[in-house]
Formats: sequence, C-alpha cells, structure tokens
Amino acid sequence: MNLHALQMLGTPARHATLALALLAGLSPLTAQAQDAAKALGGLFQSLVKPNQPAQPAQQPNSPSGLAGALLGASLAPAGGQAVQGGDLFKLLSQSLDQIDEPREIQIGQQLAAVLLGSKPLYPDVAMQRYINQLGRWISLQSPRPDLPWTFAILDDPGFNAFATPGGYVFVTKGLIDRVTDEGELAGILAHEITHVTAKHHLIALNKSARAGLLTQVISSQLKNDLGGMVSSQLLALGKNMYTKGLDQQDEFDADRTGVALAARSGFDPYGLVAVLQQLRTAAPDDALFALSLSTHPPAQTRLNQLEQAMGTRLDAYAGQPSVTVAQRMSGANRRPTAQAPARPPVKK
Amino acid sequence: MILSKSKFQVGMVISALLAFNTLAQAQPQGEAALIKREAQLREGPGDTSRSLAPLPVQTPVTRLGDRQGAWIKVRMADGATGWVHMFDITSASAQSGSTGAGALRSLSSFFNKGSAQSSGSTVATSTIGIRGLGAEDLASAQPNLAAVAQADANRANAAQARQFAGNASLSSRQVEPLPTPAPPAASPSGAAPEQYGR
Repeated sequence: MNLHALQMLGTPARHATLALALLAGLSPLTAQAQDAAKALGGLFQSLVKPNQPAQPAQQPNSPSGLAGALLGASLAPAGGQAVQGGDLFKLLSQSLDQIDEPREIQIGQQLAAVLLGSKPLYPDVAMQRYINQLGRWISLQSPRPDLPWTFAILDDPGFNAFATPGGYVFVTKGLIDRVTDEGELAGILAHEITHVTAKHHLIALNKSARAGLLTQVISSQLKNDLGGMVSSQLLALGKNMYTKGLDQQDEFDADRTGVALAARSGFDPYGLVAVLQQLRTAAPDDALFALSLSTHPPAQTRLNQLEQAMGTRLDAYAGQPSVTVAQRMSGANRRPTAQAPARPPVKK
Repeated sequence: MILSKSKFQVGMVISALLAFNTLAQAQPQGEAALIKREAQLREGPGDTSRSLAPLPVQTPVTRLGDRQGAWIKVRMADGATGWVHMFDITSASAQSGSTGAGALRSLSSFFNKGSAQSSGSTVATSTIGIRGLGAEDLASAQPNLAAVAQADANRANAAQARQFAGNASLSSRQVEPLPTPAPPAASPSGAAPEQYGR
C-alpha cells in the first residue's frame, strides 16, 4: 500500500514533511491521513494535536513539535530495529517475552515523551546533570546497571516521581525542593530504579493491553483526532497507568528493594523512610501531593511494611552526616572535573 | 490550545499561592507524634546512647527537625529533648483525633477511587483544579520527543557516576536483600485499610 511508499522515502525529515503536506488542509483527518499517521507511528504524533484542525505545512503547530518528530526518529535504540508504536502495542498485548530490551527501551521513550509532554524539563542544566550523576551511581548498584539510565527533573511544583521502562526516571522540581537531604532523594531514586529493574510498568502495561478493555474506550475517545493510530493506544495505556498507579504490591516491593539499593550505594537507608513520614503528614487533598497520594498506598501502610522488612537490619548502614542538595550542587557538581572533594565528604 | 493554556496559567498562579500553605504542612518538623512501643528517650542518636527517660506507649512527643539515620530528635511535653528511633513513633493524627481519622478516610477513598475506575481511561481526580502534575496534565499531554532527546543528552555515563560518588565519598556496600513481609490485609477493592501502628 501507499504507506510503504511513504516509508521507503528514507529520511525522517522526508517523513515529517510529507506527513505535514498530507495533512495540509485536511480537516477533520481523512482515513488516508490516519493511515499515514498510523504508518509513521510515534514519529507523527507530535505533529498532530487533538481537536485541532491540521495546519498548513508552512506553519506546523509548533516548531518544537517538528523538531520533536525529527529527533524522535533518531531515538530508536542503537542496534535495535525501530518498531512502529502500533507494533509495540501489539507486542505488548501478546506476551512479555516479545519485549526484548531494545523494545522495552523504546516503550519507555514513548512514555517518557508523554510525561515530558505534560511538564517540561526544569531548565537548570547543572541540576539535571546532578540528578543524572546521582541516579546513575545508584543504578550501577542495581541488577540492571547497563540500561541507558536517564534521569530528569520536571518543571512542576508538585511532589512526585515517575519511572518508565528501559531506565527513565523523573522527579518533580517540587520534590527536589522538599527533600531534606540527598539521602532522601537517593531513597526516592532507588525506589523508582526498582520499578524499572523489576519491570513493574512493563508488566502493568502488558496486563492492561491483554485485558483489552481500555483499547475500546480509547479508540472511541480518539475517534475525531488520533483514532486509528495504533500507537496512541500505547500512550493511552501509559497515561492511564500513571494516573491510576501501579499495584500496591509493586510499591511495597519498590520501597523495600529501593531501601536496600540505597544502602548498597552508600546512602542512608532511612532516607526513604523519612520521605514517607513526611508524605504521611501531607493533607490528602493537598493539590501538590494529590497524584502521589492517589497513586500510592497510604504512607502509613508503606511505613508499616518497611518497618516489618527493615527492623534494625540496616541500622548499621545509617547515620551518615546529611548533605543537602544545595550543598552538593554548590560543591562537587559545580566543579565536575575537580579532583579534590569540593564538599565536606560524607563519611561512612 | 488557547483554552488549555489559560487554564494552565491560572493553575500556576494559584498553585504558587498555595505553595506557602503546603510547604508548612509538609514539614515533619513540629509534627505531633506518639510513641507506639515502649522506648527510651536517648541523649544521642543510637541504642547505646544514655537513656534520659522511659517513653511508655502513647507518650505524646513533638518532632524537631533533626534526623540522623534512623533516629530523630523529639521534645517531650515537659520540654525535655532527646532522640528516638523513627520506627518507635507514629503520627498522632494516625492514631486518634477526629480530624486525623477524617483525613485518612478521605485518603483511603482517594486511593479506592483510583482502583475502582481502573477500566476507565483516566481518573478525574480533580475537584479543585490546582495541583502539581496531575491527571489532567497527563490526559492532555502531547508526546514531546524533543524533550526526551534533551533529557538523553544530560545522561551521565558510568565513569562520570563513579567520579561523582568518589567526590562525595560514597562507596558501594554489600547489603543483603530485605525479607518480604506479609502483605497488609486487603479490602475487597484491593485498597489497603489503614494500619495504625502495630
């Protein structure tokens, strides 16, 4: 079919241009345009906004949208074959065995794009580098040290953290502002890293995809804009997952395994416990905590589970002098090549 | 687009205003807490530190800001200060007081709501419309692959991470995995009922 011809043309830029040209003046989207969109999968999505007539090719909806599409095409994992979003969804609806690591990463990239579509990156590059160094160090002690771990701070006042398959971990700027010290942040990152290493999100996506319930709901919802783009199903599944949260057993597992992972990385195992005690005091209707609270088991229940698991087993690993994020940022991270420790070192 | 943008701006303004309130609420410092099992008020952080006073179950204490590992600094009703293990205290509102119980009830229903609507596309958690990243943001999010590429560019490699750890005097340690406790008793909806202490 003609879609093939489109794909044969080669460069991603060609794809995007053609796609735009195809769309120009088509409102609402015709079946043809939808087919084209389907063929282009994730590449195409940033160009199409729901409930909006397509723009002429000279004026794409947003320049960043176009850039996104172009860059997006190069995001496919090196060495792996780029699979269209729709195919990813199909694979997800079958068996988890179908999802090898490159595909897992690709799914994670699409979901990362959704999270970054809901909130932008926090613009402080030094802080983004800091969270990557910190997170990468912890991930090195995890069972999957070789994933392309990527950490990012979302420009959002709320208190939350997310992970997507393949090694993307997000924290909000509001969370960074509220943690008392680096040990607490490390505890949160270790919790999210565990979601990735244990494939909690991938398994949850697989479950909902196989249940098939959501698919119908979604395709009826998207009838007038992205309907027919199969990969939009993956994104819809993802949106639902991040709104609804994971199974609470997954959260308990991430708490427990994360605490041990933080300790393994040289951090205070009580960092996460301190965060949960803080979360416990947050009012449930507090808008800045709303999504964290609604997507996780009650903090008191998590604390009880952690207490049963930890007892005093990890107390010997605790008690480091705490370093705040600001202290670390003003020290070592500002001088990444400095040989001498720039901050009062954290002594074990 | 225009609509959602103005909504976004209004949201930002209001959430900025709210931030003052919530910051104070979120701080454990000054939080009223209760001793949940018999313990000692210690002079310093650690079991080997001198005992200042016995702490019977249900003793009210106020959390001060300090924490060292598992130990937090507290103040007694008589003004004496000392240290207790984090696991020996529980939030005062979690155990008693009508406002606390009410808050937890609504927290629980928040959670139930999420579970109950699992077959829906997104859960409309919003009645207030002011928040951090929330269900509405996710629902209306357009995938931003350019931002993903930008995030990818900030990655640290293993060598950089090790250098960071070295500068911070962090070293890896052998830590056994923790045992898995029995899950909390589950209610029919799958949501956990609150457990207050043990």
